[in-house]
Amino acid sequence: MRKAFGIMTVLASLFAAYAFAAEGVTTGPNGEKPVPAASLTLSAAQEQQIKDGKFTAALVWHEMSEYTNAVNAGARDEFKRLGIEVVAQTDAGFDAARQKADVETVMAKKPSIILSLPVDPATAASVYDPARQAGVKLGFVDNCPTGYKQGTDYVTIVSDDLFQMGNKAGIAMAEALGKKGKVGYIFHDADFYVTNQRDGAFKKTIEQDYPDMKIAAEAGMADPARSEDIAQAMITQHPDLDGIYVTWAEPALSVLSALRAAGNTHTKIVTLDLNEPAALDMVKGGNIAALVADEAYSIGVTLARASAGSLVGLKAEPFYAVDSIAVTKETVKDGWKKSLNKDVPATIADAMK
Amino acid sequence: MTSANTGTEVGSFVSRFNLQQYVVYLGFLAIFLFFAFMLSDSGFLTVRNLSNIVLQTAPVTIMAIGLVFVMSAGEIDLSIGSIVAVSALAAAVTIASYGMAAGIVAGLGAGILIGLINGALVAYVRLPSFLVTLATMGLFAGVSRSMTDLRSISVTNGAFTGFFGSGSLLGVPSLIWWTVIAIAAGHLVYRETRFGAHVLATGDNARAASVSGISVPKIRLAVLTISGGLAGLAGLLYAGRLQAAKYTLGETDLMTVIAAVIVGGTLLNGGKGSIVGALVGSLMMGMLNNGLILMGLSVSDQMIVRGLIILTAVAVSLRDKSR
Amino acid sequence: MSAPILQLQDIRKNFGGITAIENFSLEVFPGEIVALVGDNGAGKSTLVKIISGVHTPSSGTIMIEGKPVTMSNATMGRAHGIEVVYQDLALADQQTVYMNMFLGREPLNRFGLLDRRRMIDETEKLVKELDVRIPSAHATIRDLSGGQRQGVAIARATHWASKLILLDEPTAALGVAETAKVEAIVQSLKQRNVGILIISHSLDQVFKLSDRICVLRRGKQIGVRETKKTDKNEIIAMITGLQQQ
Repeated sequence: MRKAFGIMTVLASLFAAYAFAAEGVTTGPNGEKPVPAASLTLSAAQEQQIKDGKFTAALVWHEMSEYTNAVNAGARDEFKRLGIEVVAQTDAGFDAARQKADVETVMAKKPSIILSLPVDPATAASVYDPARQAGVKLGFVDNCPTGYKQGTDYVTIVSDDLFQMGNKAGIAMAEALGKKGKVGYIFHDADFYVTNQRDGAFKKTIEQDYPDMKIAAEAGMADPARSEDIAQAMITQHPDLDGIYVTWAEPALSVLSALRAAGNTHTKIVTLDLNEPAALDMVKGGNIAALVADEAYSIGVTLARASAGSLVGLKAEPFYAVDSIAVTKETVKDGWKKSLNKDVPATIADAMK
Repeated sequence: MTSANTGTEVGSFVSRFNLQQYVVYLGFLAIFLFFAFMLSDSGFLTVRNLSNIVLQTAPVTIMAIGLVFVMSAGEIDLSIGSIVAVSALAAAVTIASYGMAAGIVAGLGAGILIGLINGALVAYVRLPSFLVTLATMGLFAGVSRSMTDLRSISVTNGAFTGFFGSGSLLGVPSLIWWTVIAIAAGHLVYRETRFGAHVLATGDNARAASVSGISVPKIRLAVLTISGGLAGLAGLLYAGRLQAAKYTLGETDLMTVIAAVIVGGTLLNGGKGSIVGALVGSLMMGMLNNGLILMGLSVSDQMIVRGLIILTAVAVSLRDKSR
Repeated sequence: MSAPILQLQDIRKNFGGITAIENFSLEVFPGEIVALVGDNGAGKSTLVKIISGVHTPSSGTIMIEGKPVTMSNATMGRAHGIEVVYQDLALADQQTVYMNMFLGREPLNRFGLLDRRRMIDETEKLVKELDVRIPSAHATIRDLSGGQRQGVAIARATHWASKLILLDEPTAALGVAETAKVEAIVQSLKQRNVGILIISHSLDQVFKLSDRICVLRRGKQIGVRETKKTDKNEIIAMITGLQQQ
């Protein structure tokens, strides 16, 4: 009974995301309207004031991945530019209890700023309260603790343009398939508004904008570790799929290996986030057709800038969104630079020669 | 008589301070002094930070006590992490509908019940505990996910959260009380009761225990039940501290608990162990996490250094044991 | 002569269709050492298990001090005052001498906690009496030599046996000097007025220690001889079933 209720909630939240997506606009966790990240700037006077303040910052991440690394690098570079010392960095391994411990620990260094991505927004208030009560400026990626008020409790939220990401994934899929065919849809089956909005935007784009395309198979993925089984089942039941959308890159690799094991070279994969093995398959002309990436590095820069600005009285907007880009075989070099602020890995560069 | 007594006192003093038990205390002291020196201006030595370490490690310490019993009896319990999540969720859901007392019963009851299942399969169906608890680890990780469909459940009952993690008594945080009480009780049972002696004998030489009239199956059932119950208590402490429960709670703790217990001088094959050693081992793990973060190392460097230190500690403590 | 402390009458033990022991009768008197000899597979270990209570005989009577008893596990054997020193010692290696001495029967103080003081005192008293030379009651078993371990095992049996001590190959794993030491300890047990049943492969040892020798062949009792009135040749002939030339 409880389970049925739970599924209903997940479905309801998916439909809710769907409703947002119908507007074609990304919204923040509390329905905030997005402001382009590029619009946030500091004046020379403000920058000098920050440098004189000898501030410090701590980075309390939810986990470490290429994505977090890029956000982290953006934040560190921006802090360095502004003369702010990063005194601690942590990784909670998706464990809310550990994230709470991490916040308590970094508080020993009395940072002026904490940047973080809350593992579990619904219960994150107890995680960040020690920092909030001590007057630390809190800047969040993607989400904020339920019950916190922007401007008083935290500085701002910076996120991808979620709708844009899903939408670009839909367009990339259509381009790859010649705007017609059967598509498999593997979505994140959990109440997480980031993936829910992106997945919903993809689905809506295909359904509304491409009448000759059809979502022929759907599968929810609750546990990323089981993605290969899900992919296996999907391609066994629907060997004729022309393309498969996967909610992010790690599980997409499982789908890729399932396709390879089945000797399938015709089904195209579109997924989100840059990932070296996936990109390598793409440039070698494999199943992967496109990777849609957010400008993760810019998320870090924007968040660091907004939080530093708040120390000298800058009023930040509640919700900034960074752009996303569809990376294909042709644009992989540029895309890597834009998204992760890094050169494309040597393996990929070699494969393109 | 008096001279014989003096001889005994000296003998007991010497055997209690064997080298291998020194290792964990010396290691703890060395790491503590290292951080105290290196981080003298980074807040490591503040009362707030040091008490944070004890607070953060409380659930791991409680689980470690259970694992000392299990490993001393020559068994292993891999399911403790999953039990934490099931217990925390069971408590959180029950508190919301039926209040604090029912929530405690549900949380502890879930832990004890899973422990009983593990124990019955090991003791009476005679399956290896490694395989049984490997299976129940996965099984109950699934149960915790399906209980609330991956959602986290808030715990708003102030009495519960105060009692189990967020409150304090006489100025001392409740998690420190729990740690002190659990360690004292665990040490007493382990060192000073017949049950503790029988646990050690079972892990040391099950046949010798059996021909000496010890019911080996009952001991195996008991240690796994204790471990389940204490993991359940750890679940309540997490729920109280976070004021919420989620399926991810405890998921990453298993390796930390095993490391704390082994560094603390408990043999992987049974027959010998230490509750106080496990406490020191657990605090050492917490102190490492804390100190390495405060040193400003990147996350990957923290993991590498932590791994090397644990490896060294385990190598030194195991080497002395098999001299 | 006083009454026998252990009496076995017409003991028979079947495992499925196989008869391991039949028509076995034996008496052991207090203060007496009886040796049980026989070739491998003659049924000695089955007999040990029957006397210690691990196996229940299929038929026949076990009497202790003239009273018939039935036992279905080793705990009941111990309750009747019968202690066994096993071939493989049955000691817990990581534990101290005194904990092994009281394994499964630890005394408690008035708080219900282990009475270590009493365990240590009684252990030290006993090892002194039996002249088992160990460093201390606190020593860990694994740090002791084979002879010292066997000494501890015998001391434990001595401490608890009120009627009968069963020694199953007590020196099989020991060197010459250690064997002599253990034999001296066994010899000294006679003063304690319990019955002693020893199983041994070494006829030298049997002739050195025992008062009487009971020979077992293919599950049957071949005969009992007084040690003083027999010799090795006769015993060997009985064990092997070959007549003397």
